[in-house]
Amino acid sequence: MIEFVEECRREWKRLGVPDPIANEMAIDLTADIEEAEAEGGSAEDVLGNSVFDPRRFAASWASARGVTAPSNPVDPFTPIALGHNPWYRPAMVIALSLFGFLTALAAAALLLGRHGVAVAASIGPHVVLPVSNRFFGPPQMHSFRDIVSGSSITLQSVGGFVVLAFAMLLIGILFMGLAVLYRNTWPRDGSKRRLW
Amino acid sequence: MVKVDGRRSQLLRGVLDLCLLAVIDEGPAYGYEMTKRLRARGMPIVGEGSIYPLLGRLERDGLVETRREASNGGPPRKYYSLSSDGKRSLETGVVEWQTARDSIDRALDLTKAGVTP
Repeated sequence: MIEFVEECRREWKRLGVPDPIANEMAIDLTADIEEAEAEGGSAEDVLGNSVFDPRRFAASWASARGVTAPSNPVDPFTPIALGHNPWYRPAMVIALSLFGFLTALAAAALLLGRHGVAVAASIGPHVVLPVSNRFFGPPQMHSFRDIVSGSSITLQSVGGFVVLAFAMLLIGILFMGLAVLYRNTWPRDGSKRRLW
Repeated sequence: MVKVDGRRSQLLRGVLDLCLLAVIDEGPAYGYEMTKRLRARGMPIVGEGSIYPLLGRLERDGLVETRREASNGGPPRKYYSLSSDGKRSLETGVVEWQTARDSIDRALDLTKAGVTP
């Protein structure tokens, strides 16, 4: 149950509750839980169903006491103006997750693909068409082979190929991790309803 | 159709502050002690959420006063007692509850009469 109290402490710190007040609440909570356990009960006897959500409980208690910081530095990811848009957070999580997933998927596809395939990392100067052709000229079809054959950088070695794939895989995992991290920094004080 | 558990939970939530004021009126108490007093009166808080946020609100509204007192071997506990505003709020709340309860009782009797053949 110490973990529950520690989770509450972290939430109070995040909400800007002054340390003496947070300590006082933590001591009261610990003493009550210990008494309940000494009597053969459990933390649930003290906390009810709040025992399953320490962050919400901590935020609710601090809010009821009126001890949260006036301007709540809840979320370092959220720009102030966008933070009021209820769709901003879900959209950010979806975007981060989607980018991470697609990047990881592409990496997996590269790793599982045939060895020896040439991959163009950049396109050679001959691919860039003159402005007139780009906008007004007839459509010109360039096969992938055409583009690759004139490219300035071509990865032929399997070693470089694998490094590229693993780098993409790491980036994908990193972005999915960021999405989870961002989701976990969500405020749970009940003042903002989640959209899912 | 509201589930029975959901209705019970909503009803308790609506009067939990009044019940807290009533058990504090018995004598100064700390958080868990109030929980035990409520349970002794047949009102378990399991499933209804914690009383701590409610105590925080009562304290902020000036309905309870607090002081720290040593406990048996443990750290000093925070004891809550009713302020004069709290006593008035309890008296008003009891009258409001009785009025509401009587109205609901009448309504339910009328409903029963309507479905009785």
